[in-house]
Amino acid sequence: MHHDEALVALVTRIVLEQLQNTPSRSQNPKEVVIGVGPAYGTGGAKTINDLSHSAVLAEIKAGIEEEGMDFSVVQVFKSSDVAVIGKEAADLSGSGLGIGIQSKGTAIIHQTDLQILSNIELFPQAPLLTLAHYRQIGKNAAKYAKGESVTPIATQNDPMIRAAYQVKAALMHIKETEKADRNKPTQHYVAQSATPLMKGGQN
Amino acid sequence: MKSKRFEILNNRPVNKDGFIAEWPEAGFIAMASPYDPKPSIRVIGGAIVEMDGTPRDQFDFIDAFIADYTINPAKTHFMDISSAVIAHKLVDINISREEIINIASGITPAKLTEVMGHLNVVEMMMALQKMRARGIPANQAHITNVKDDPVQIAADSAEGALRGFAEEETTVGVARYAPLNAIALLIGSQVGRPGVLTQCAVEEATELILGIRGFTTYAETMSVYGTEPVFIDGDDTPYSKAFLASAYASRGLKTRFTSGTGSEALMGSAQKKSMLYLEARCLYAAKGAGSQGIQNGSVSCIGITASVPSGIRAVLAENLMAAILDLEVASSNDQSFSHSDMRRTARTMLQFLPGTDFIFSGYAGEPNYDNLFAGSNFDAEDFDDYNVLQRDMMVDGGLRPVSEEEVIRVRETAGKAVQAVFRYLNLAEITDEQVEAVTYAHGSKDTLPRDAAADIAAAESLMRRGLTGLDIVKALYETGFEDIAQRVLNMLKQRITGDYMQTSAILDEDYNVISAINAPNNYKGPGTGYRVGGKRWEEIKNIPNIIDREGI
Repeated sequence: MHHDEALVALVTRIVLEQLQNTPSRSQNPKEVVIGVGPAYGTGGAKTINDLSHSAVLAEIKAGIEEEGMDFSVVQVFKSSDVAVIGKEAADLSGSGLGIGIQSKGTAIIHQTDLQILSNIELFPQAPLLTLAHYRQIGKNAAKYAKGESVTPIATQNDPMIRAAYQVKAALMHIKETEKADRNKPTQHYVAQSATPLMKGGQN
Repeated sequence: MKSKRFEILNNRPVNKDGFIAEWPEAGFIAMASPYDPKPSIRVIGGAIVEMDGTPRDQFDFIDAFIADYTINPAKTHFMDISSAVIAHKLVDINISREEIINIASGITPAKLTEVMGHLNVVEMMMALQKMRARGIPANQAHITNVKDDPVQIAADSAEGALRGFAEEETTVGVARYAPLNAIALLIGSQVGRPGVLTQCAVEEATELILGIRGFTTYAETMSVYGTEPVFIDGDDTPYSKAFLASAYASRGLKTRFTSGTGSEALMGSAQKKSMLYLEARCLYAAKGAGSQGIQNGSVSCIGITASVPSGIRAVLAENLMAAILDLEVASSNDQSFSHSDMRRTARTMLQFLPGTDFIFSGYAGEPNYDNLFAGSNFDAEDFDDYNVLQRDMMVDGGLRPVSEEEVIRVRETAGKAVQAVFRYLNLAEITDEQVEAVTYAHGSKDTLPRDAAADIAAAESLMRRGLTGLDIVKALYETGFEDIAQRVLNMLKQRITGDYMQTSAILDEDYNVISAINAPNNYKGPGTGYRVGGKRWEEIKNIPNIIDREGI
């Protein structure tokens, strides 16, 4: 049987690199992992609803803490897709529960034993999400991690949202996708120190 | 000084919409990117070795799939016909649908895209009128609500079926509700009109299980994309989609694929290509995978395609390209994209006037605030407008006027049937008050709250216990709904005969299959093809709001 030795060596090297650099799954059953997208905390550092990334993350953390659970935050680079980000967080989580959040604010509660494109709760309409919602997302994820019977957050729906926001969402997602790299491993998230605002809204 | 006129104009709804200038480098261009490839093909020994300027050793997996499974290497001489001549043939009533389909079997995605570039929207509508697969157009509804309330799904699907929708689609606000939504839709639809097909759009593995269990009778959310990175983001390839389609086919379920312009730009991976060229690649992938049909027309990315010049024309072009490839076309119109009533109506006329297999692939059968596809282009508040449009233009848009009495009757029956099934199968409790509220409701603002945690537990129990469509039939039969039980059973029987897997199939109220095989489109110019007439015209004419001559 013919082997492409060069290809085998390349695949082996990439897989080994990914294994070495990926944070391993936590052993703490009280932990919920928050996964943020590749561009989170950079650039304008605001969601499509104009909420600062640091404030959003603080609310999610507070929600988890209120339920007496622990959190850690990772930054996912392999994809800009919210389902992939959430699933990666869940896979690293000691409780099996993870929260994924894109730079534009789209969020998901995911669980490690689900298919990537399934979820526990999905919040697809980011322009409608307030800080109170993000806190509740943290709380609900923590409650699922505790094994409670949880009432999902009421579905937010604005039928004109596509007309008003889809172009802006695409532009934000393009920036996030530019930072994505299939071969770059997930890392512990380090919040960047506040950068001075650029004039004229570039970046 | 500020102009009063400009103040008025600035406040018009259309100026709340999002518009952007062409930007081919990011894929924000509708039909002809300067980076689109020039059409070409080279065949050696029966294999395609070059397609649209790319040699085989540089094919991505979409190219390879199309070259191996879609384009007929024996028909590639049709590439020698100029794109302008093919465009002429499309609008020529003396050139048959079959001749166009034969030509299309041997040309490449870039060539078909180039053909579209020669057509204006009126010519595209003329071509679509000829190229639609099924003789009679039809319509599809979305049936959802923000509470994921199964009683409201049952009532709205019963009303939608009564109003004429041939297919009804639900989805979820909370994913774990899927099995309950699916069975509520299945039961409610059969109360409204026997033979209506139903689906539940969720994550693909879940959706397949729902189909295998007999909780749905078709599926359409097998998504394909025009560039490799977007496909990979969805953890997919054309090959895996073909495999999924085969899984449905093996269990006798009708399916169609889904694609649409704008998805690659929205996902940030358009590779500088025009939206229409990338959509052509999607359609060729769907065709190569053996799908009988496609849902396309930008679909959920319509905010992107509609934001660029000639975008709405491109949406019509993609429907037409699908019909040319001999696919059933469920032509979108299913997603809100404009604040302007004028603009959203104009967009829909492009499919409504020529007719497609399903003019909407999701007309909101509820008020748009309850539409969990983030709003459709038309909703329950537009029912009377739509009926008048059919009457004004003598066009069959697939719907019909109904009376308040019959709507209330089917809504109540559907609610009671779902209540009985839930009790019999020991799912979640549905009270008489809930059924009554839903019967007379417009949307979820008029209904009573449900215990979401209990409903989700019931959905999980439904799946864990291995219940199937036959358990629904049994539950209906044992609780006094023998007629509805028979109807649901007849829907399950379709899975055994499989006739409704033919191109463009719908069922009439006696479960006869109406498809492109036994009722094909035979339009050949004025006076030919399907025309509104007879009983159907009487039905369309008879709107409730007519002045009573005698009363004056």
